Amino acid sequence: MPAKAAWLQGLFPALVTPFVFETEEVDEDAYRRLIRHVLPHVNGLVTSGTTGEFPYLTRQEQRRLVEIAVEEADGKPVIAGCGASSTQEALALAHDAAAAGASAALIVAPFFLRPSDKGLHQHFYEIATSVDLPIILYNIPQMVDAYLPRPVVEDLADLPNVIGLKDSSGDLSYTMELLEYVGDRIDILVGHDEVALPALAGGVSGLILASGQVYPEIWQAIIRLVREGRLEEARALQRSIQKLSRIFCRHGGGVAVKAALRMMGLDMGPPRRPLKAVGGALIHETQAEIRLELEKLGKIAPVDIPFAYPSAPLTERFQELGIAPETVASSGLRVGSGTAGEGLNRVQIDLIAGGKSTLLGEVYALQLTYPLRGREALTTILEPALTVRPATLLLPTVPQRNLRQANMIYGPTQSALARAIVDALEIGRIPTSAVDGEVIIALATVHPQALDRHALYRSAYAAATQALAQAFAAET
Amino acid sequence: MGYKVEWFKGIFPALVTPFTRSGAVDEQAYRQLIRFVLPHVNGVVSCGTTGEFSSLTLDERKRVTEICLDEVAGRVPVVVGTGCKSTRETLILTRWARDAGADAALVVAPYFLKPTFNEVYDHFRAVDEIGLPLVLYNIPQCAGTHFRWWTAEGMALDFEHVIGIKDSSGDLPFLEALFEKVRGHVAIFVGHDEIVQAALAAGADGAILASANLIPDIWQQVYQATLKGELAIAQEWQQKVQKLVRIVVNCSSTQAVKEGLRMMGLEVGDSRHPIMPGDGFRREDYEELRVQLELLGKIGKAPLVYEAGGRRIVTEVFATPQTPCVVSDLTLRVGEGFAGPPFHELAHVDLLLGLKDGPVGRAIERALAGWGEERGLRLINERPRTLLVPTVTVRTPKQRALLYEYAVAGINIAIQASIADGFLPEALLDQLALIVNAFVHPAASIARRIMLNNYKATLQAIRKAIEGRPTLEELFNEKVCARHPFRYAP
Repeated sequence: MPAKAAWLQGLFPALVTPFVFETEEVDEDAYRRLIRHVLPHVNGLVTSGTTGEFPYLTRQEQRRLVEIAVEEADGKPVIAGCGASSTQEALALAHDAAAAGASAALIVAPFFLRPSDKGLHQHFYEIATSVDLPIILYNIPQMVDAYLPRPVVEDLADLPNVIGLKDSSGDLSYTMELLEYVGDRIDILVGHDEVALPALAGGVSGLILASGQVYPEIWQAIIRLVREGRLEEARALQRSIQKLSRIFCRHGGGVAVKAALRMMGLDMGPPRRPLKAVGGALIHETQAEIRLELEKLGKIAPVDIPFAYPSAPLTERFQELGIAPETVASSGLRVGSGTAGEGLNRVQIDLIAGGKSTLLGEVYALQLTYPLRGREALTTILEPALTVRPATLLLPTVPQRNLRQANMIYGPTQSALARAIVDALEIGRIPTSAVDGEVIIALATVHPQALDRHALYRSAYAAATQALAQAFAAET
Repeated sequence: MGYKVEWFKGIFPALVTPFTRSGAVDEQAYRQLIRFVLPHVNGVVSCGTTGEFSSLTLDERKRVTEICLDEVAGRVPVVVGTGCKSTRETLILTRWARDAGADAALVVAPYFLKPTFNEVYDHFRAVDEIGLPLVLYNIPQCAGTHFRWWTAEGMALDFEHVIGIKDSSGDLPFLEALFEKVRGHVAIFVGHDEIVQAALAAGADGAILASANLIPDIWQQVYQATLKGELAIAQEWQQKVQKLVRIVVNCSSTQAVKEGLRMMGLEVGDSRHPIMPGDGFRREDYEELRVQLELLGKIGKAPLVYEAGGRRIVTEVFATPQTPCVVSDLTLRVGEGFAGPPFHELAHVDLLLGLKDGPVGRAIERALAGWGEERGLRLINERPRTLLVPTVTVRTPKQRALLYEYAVAGINIAIQASIADGFLPEALLDQLALIVNAFVHPAASIARRIMLNNYKATLQAIRKAIEGRPTLEELFNEKVCARHPFRYAP
């Protein structure tokens, strides 16, 4: 193991930088709150990294963040992000970091005007030989649009001041190559949350992670389990956070981390523009997904939504649509119901079908003019621009409180219903005469806490198939 | 040293290979296609990328080329795609093409197992030794193997039988490098439909194009105008076809061309799997391609009879083989339209079309009298009476403006266009009612895209409602492979 910096191992969260709404000023109090929240679980801190929106911070602000972190760190090391596109600016930042008491500078590969190998070497060489502060090289091709070439790293690793390399590429073949060539001279830290476990098992010294401030204790447990060789347990833990880690790495970055922290009661404010708190890299649907994942981890309490699977006699389940039980028979409407799946994945489909010129045609048209808040009826499609026939409306019975929940209805449930209808048509269960002559309205009841889209699809398909079989039984 | 031949210039369609419903090569359709393009072209290419050479057996490639040679009968030169993954197979097929009477072989860079530059060079040298005039073919989008200029230069100048290079990369700096290195020695053909005019103006000798199956006459005009130095005319034509060819180039070109030909009345079947309808050539691309072909006058009008309310109204619409002759039931017709990207500016329209005195008209009146105000419904047009129903709750002033100004503008443009093109017949407008469910994503920004996407989605929805699409056949063919975007976790 490299011995240049014995402290450079374990977990280092890449802290977000909190900002005040409207003014976009750095919110120092929030920063201190964040540090106090994570400190018990980490081996050190990283200021103004990529997650900390470093390209949007002034030199003074970056220095101030280091000062606060050093004050709050209680003796734990502070790694100062000192990334810049020019060598001159990176040098200035590193000098500041040294003066402010940082333990090391994290220097990203120069970006925008991208130098070739010589320029890269020169950049790091100049900083490492003129600043009295250990240097950690930083490879993040997702932002820089280039890798740090391994031969360049090989040479830089000989410099006494270069103590490590943070690899955020997520490309394990690159990480392994680094361990092969420089692992005996500098510490390799992985900066890609999705591959932390395999990287640790492969021999990296530690983790610098965005999610290190959201679930630091889980990362510490994984580090410990890997050290003890208890890989099965480590895998289970990594899997429990895989989706959130993927979201932080690939679907929103620091903005998604801020959204998660806000849900956990740690409001770090918005990102600086042009990033948007939501609706940019972090889309609304993903934000809703973060909430449910945090509920799963026990980081926030789930919201209890009262609901019930409809249990009234079948003909009475369509009264909300204005179809009285006696009308079902007198108008010659077909009804059917199906239920499938267990627990959270249980789905019930109650459907009604009938001629376009009957009451159901009126109801169908009316439903499309009446968007129920949270229960919007949608035309059933196999995929966009592939509408099923007979025309079918899907109506959720439980109000959708967020886009994530809505996704469960309008995604797996809807596509399963669509597939069940087309299958029923193909086997002749639904008669060809119904294709143009009839319409269907399907009421879907899905558990509001449902999470597993694949299981839901299967339940919804089975439930819809049963319901169609019952409704169209007379035809076969 | 390669050389230039007098005949290798101008417009060469990369002919599609028609298939019957059972999947065999459709000889009659192929002959028909050749007869359709022949008056407008300087030559043809059989079994190119657009001809799905990579999905044909060696025997089929020979058969297709035989048909092509027979039908063309020497009236124009025939260039035959003979490239394969391995040198061994390429040699077999190229020798065969030489003996069959082909004028030249178009040989793609060997693909999948990516050979190095010198391996590519030696591959082509072996093909060159066969003695058939040789066209080197660069299409990195498919082959994954990009000629560098030094490879191309070496092959063009070192080999004896090279008569040209076809570059489909769309990479203008690369094309300029070719001009610099080898122009005057061999012909340089552009194979990327989006930059034809630019390439010809810059000095390309001709173009081998997928879209020349559909619009050979227009490409010939671009070529002739360029020859005469009438750049403005050439530019104008390129711009007129730009949207069409962008779809062809970027959206499974073989399937796009085949569906375009079908819309124009020339049935050539679908592409062989894994290329299929509704995949790379998406449903919305189909609709857009159709509109573009209509604008270019490539799809003709046919009578469509509406039987409604005891009346019989005859109108003329741009008809494809899927367009019915009679629409007799206007009780309640459902159409759906989808257009994007970008993600936040996607338009997804659910549309109901019917008579004012039917379920659709009655629903509109009940909604307006009841919850219209509260739910943000708007009557956005009187002829036909059209109700806008927002399907996502409007939360911000920005979203409100984007919905009620830009999305509505797009919907109304689509309605006016549908009146003009006959799908919404003038004589029925006083009796017709539309319910349009539309939405604007809370994070949407780009106003112009919202307008255009809603225009496209509404136009599609109206046509699909009238034409009864998707058809059962489409549903049955695609039910297993359909990809619903919300079905999967991020």
